[in-house]
Amino acid sequence: MAEMEETDFNDILDDWFIESLKTYKDLHVYQLEHPTQVIEWTSGRTVCVAGYSSSKNEILELHLPLKLFADENKGLCAERDFKVVHGGFAEGPVCCLRHVPGTRCVVTNDGLSSDLQVWTVGGDDSDVIRRTGSVKGRRSVSEGGSRIAAPLSSQLLHGARSSDVQLTQLTSGQILYTLETDSADPLSSLQFVSDTVFLAGCCNGNVYIADTRTSAAPQLSPGPAAWGGSVLWWTDASAGRVIRLSSSGQAVVSDLRDLGEAVSWAQLDVQSHRCNPDDVRVSWAPALDNCIAVSGFSGAVQIYKTSVWGTERQDVQPLFEHRGHAVSSQSDDDVFVTAHVWHPERPRTLLSAASDGSVHVWDWVDQSEL
Amino acid sequence: MPEIKVTPLGAGQDVGRSCILVSIGGKNIMLDCGMHMGYNDDRRFPDFSYITQNGRLTEFLDCVIISHFHLDHCGALPFMSEMVGYDGPIYMTHPTKAICPILLEDFRKITVDKKGETNFFTSQMIKDCMKKVVPLNLHQTVQVDDELEIKAYYAGHVLGAAMVQIKVGSESVVYTGDYNMTPDRHLGAAWIDKCRPDILISESTYATTIRDSKRCRERDFLKKVHESIERGGKVLIPVFALGRAQELCILLETFWERMNLKAPIYFSTGLTEKANHYYKLFITWTNQKIRKTFVQRNMFEFKHIKAFDRSYADNPGPMVVFATPGMLHAGQSLQIFKKWAGNEKNMVIMPGYCVQGTIGHKILNGQRKLEMEGRSTLDVKLQVEYMSFSAHADAKGIMQLIRMAEPRNMLLVHGEAVKMEFLKGKIEQEFSIDCHMPANGETATVTTNPSVPVDISLNLLKREMALGGPLPDPKKPRTMHGTLIMKENSLKLVSSEQALKELGLNEHQLRFTCRVQLQDPHSDPDTLNRIYTHLKSVLKGYTIQHLPDGTVMVESIVIKVSSSAEDTSTKVLLLSWSYQVKHFYFYNVISSNTRAVKRLILIAINRQISIVNHD
Repeated sequence: MAEMEETDFNDILDDWFIESLKTYKDLHVYQLEHPTQVIEWTSGRTVCVAGYSSSKNEILELHLPLKLFADENKGLCAERDFKVVHGGFAEGPVCCLRHVPGTRCVVTNDGLSSDLQVWTVGGDDSDVIRRTGSVKGRRSVSEGGSRIAAPLSSQLLHGARSSDVQLTQLTSGQILYTLETDSADPLSSLQFVSDTVFLAGCCNGNVYIADTRTSAAPQLSPGPAAWGGSVLWWTDASAGRVIRLSSSGQAVVSDLRDLGEAVSWAQLDVQSHRCNPDDVRVSWAPALDNCIAVSGFSGAVQIYKTSVWGTERQDVQPLFEHRGHAVSSQSDDDVFVTAHVWHPERPRTLLSAASDGSVHVWDWVDQSEL
Repeated sequence: MPEIKVTPLGAGQDVGRSCILVSIGGKNIMLDCGMHMGYNDDRRFPDFSYITQNGRLTEFLDCVIISHFHLDHCGALPFMSEMVGYDGPIYMTHPTKAICPILLEDFRKITVDKKGETNFFTSQMIKDCMKKVVPLNLHQTVQVDDELEIKAYYAGHVLGAAMVQIKVGSESVVYTGDYNMTPDRHLGAAWIDKCRPDILISESTYATTIRDSKRCRERDFLKKVHESIERGGKVLIPVFALGRAQELCILLETFWERMNLKAPIYFSTGLTEKANHYYKLFITWTNQKIRKTFVQRNMFEFKHIKAFDRSYADNPGPMVVFATPGMLHAGQSLQIFKKWAGNEKNMVIMPGYCVQGTIGHKILNGQRKLEMEGRSTLDVKLQVEYMSFSAHADAKGIMQLIRMAEPRNMLLVHGEAVKMEFLKGKIEQEFSIDCHMPANGETATVTTNPSVPVDISLNLLKREMALGGPLPDPKKPRTMHGTLIMKENSLKLVSSEQALKELGLNEHQLRFTCRVQLQDPHSDPDTLNRIYTHLKSVLKGYTIQHLPDGTVMVESIVIKVSSSAEDTSTKVLLLSWSYQVKHFYFYNVISSNTRAVKRLILIAINRQISIVNHD
């Protein structure tokens, strides 16, 4: 074969590509015009993404490729593309985007103030996402944006710091609950663990647990003793377990009812080249036992199995690493993953987005089960 | 106002057949003439009754342009030219001209022989139609007639696909046909210069999609082939001679080498001869890399891929075979299919669209029992895989093309109406141009602003410069006055005096007069004087003169006073002004006592309005 053909195909037949034939069931690679920091499910088959540049940005609702869902007749379906089902424009960056369950509304925050923008994602008659309202944050000025959680179809829990978290009635704007805390710790996450009980994860590792039905003081669980200087923490809770991850790669699993005690520890293999509080994500797999996904430290998304962790802190290796973004990147700068989400039902399907505008949909193979 | 009219007859909110009519500068052009592959009746043809209710189309059309050989762009061409009737020129690129008749003939055979249709074009009609074709080269301006010119640009997508610029005078339209903005393995990406057409007509079938990378499509292909081979199965890949076949061969060859695979890969000889023939002819149409290889050697000379012999189909063990025709409707690919269909370890990979009536179409629709000749049925047990490798522009691609061409208006065809509001808004916002999306049969009218070049006399220019003020600039044009003279074919802007001189005309002055009565017991000269003094005090900044001939002049307005014959205290003011004075309102209330004019004069002189409200 002539030389030109070899170089031409070496770029696609690289090691990662060859490996991917065995390590992924499905793999889809897309390039958005602008990178996104948010991926949010709006249904079992659609997600919203949005730009985060300082001026005008697009919010897009994308339908996942039909081929991914065509389980029986997969071979007969050639549809591999994302369909842009709805689109709209935001005046500023979108740093947080939350779908309000049971509605066609999404709520966004620009990371500059604590106010939220409310959008209606058009129905079948229109493909436009329109701004239909706003929700005022408790304190208007804040550095770092608000986190948002939406438990039911009419309420929003939001705040940028532990001192300004409130539950707002979406339609009337009425404030139903406010979190009263002594300190104003910047938040890295806000999520509901039941209909009314929520977790506010702070960047300093503190976790508040409160019930929106009561005015009782929230339960405070201080951050784990961190080794390695001042660190930032991220939290995720699911099915009674809570995981906390630090910017130095330290991970702690606890039981929700007893946050003070650590069930297991580990030192993750995250090469933290850089660490932006906005980009790190840690999440429990919704349909797999004891699996977490970690991203934001580099151009990879790592899957870890927490059931093999012990009570002594030890170095652990990921069960799987998705390096697609780093490998496929066309840009000269180091690409890093800005967001990832698990599919709510398909056990090993994830979506991930990176700083170069790439979005991947992948269904990985658990080699340990082979 | 000059305008360009665009009417989609097919495409325009309906995926399936492209046929667009454009009226520009008094010329009528038909862009593409596709067949809708989903219909079996007349709906598959574009509705030509829009052009004329009955009769031939020749006198209504100046030319027809075909963008590429896909049936949804040229499938109805023989029907249009031979059954409806059109004898004018049909323009297309050389490769399209070579390949079109082959596809049309295949399509005709399937429709007539397999489906038994009667109202369809014949082989002879295809030949007659192709006789009317005038081939185009890239970037070469072709004069269709004295006023209409066209130029083809590279579109990528498939071999020979072109985007076309149509120009009449200073108005132009660019039609994209199908194109893609990312280079392929064997084709380059579409390219056009900043030609700034009045309208860019673009395909938008995939405008609302974000395409999965080529890498992933290729990965899927290799994964499927590999899995079949590993379990000892045989893989049939029916292909059309051109384009994808060659690309997929190169892909497999590299993969086989990399993975050190031993299973044989074959391609049928008919395939290679045809492919080589076409590539030789159209070498300039493939990308640089392919060209380089081809110059050195026969492009189907592979280490792992060999020529096929029909007896190999019965050999045991795994193998991969590329065979024609692409839709499994006849010939070698169908024969091999029949042999291998019964084994579930085997696989058939369809790399493209299959026309209704073919076996390919049936199996892609999930049919597992096929009726063959002689009433026998074939059980389809092998794995059927449909893979799409076609290259289309997506939302990002459309934006890139608009950035390249810089059109004044955008028109989207071939998409789904309702679901493009967002893209329309996006285009309008980013480029500040209008975006039209006409439905089938609906005409979009775009008014153009053609620039007319005019010579300007040096004196006029100098005079204008002497007036001072900012220099004219593309963002802030400066208005100036002059007279436009058209002599022979040239236009000239000159001063009015020069125009009069050149035309041998005398200048006329228009003056208007009105008479106003007022009561004033003073003498005529005194009244005039009072008026003069009063005006001088209220109309500051204007030239007011009291002339020795007994008139007062306010700029160019002349005021005279005379007494009425019957009563000397009834004064008549004669006001006279030239045509330059735009508005002149005289509002006067005369007091009963001896005071002179109390309320006064609103005078607009030239373009300035001075409001004087004086109590």
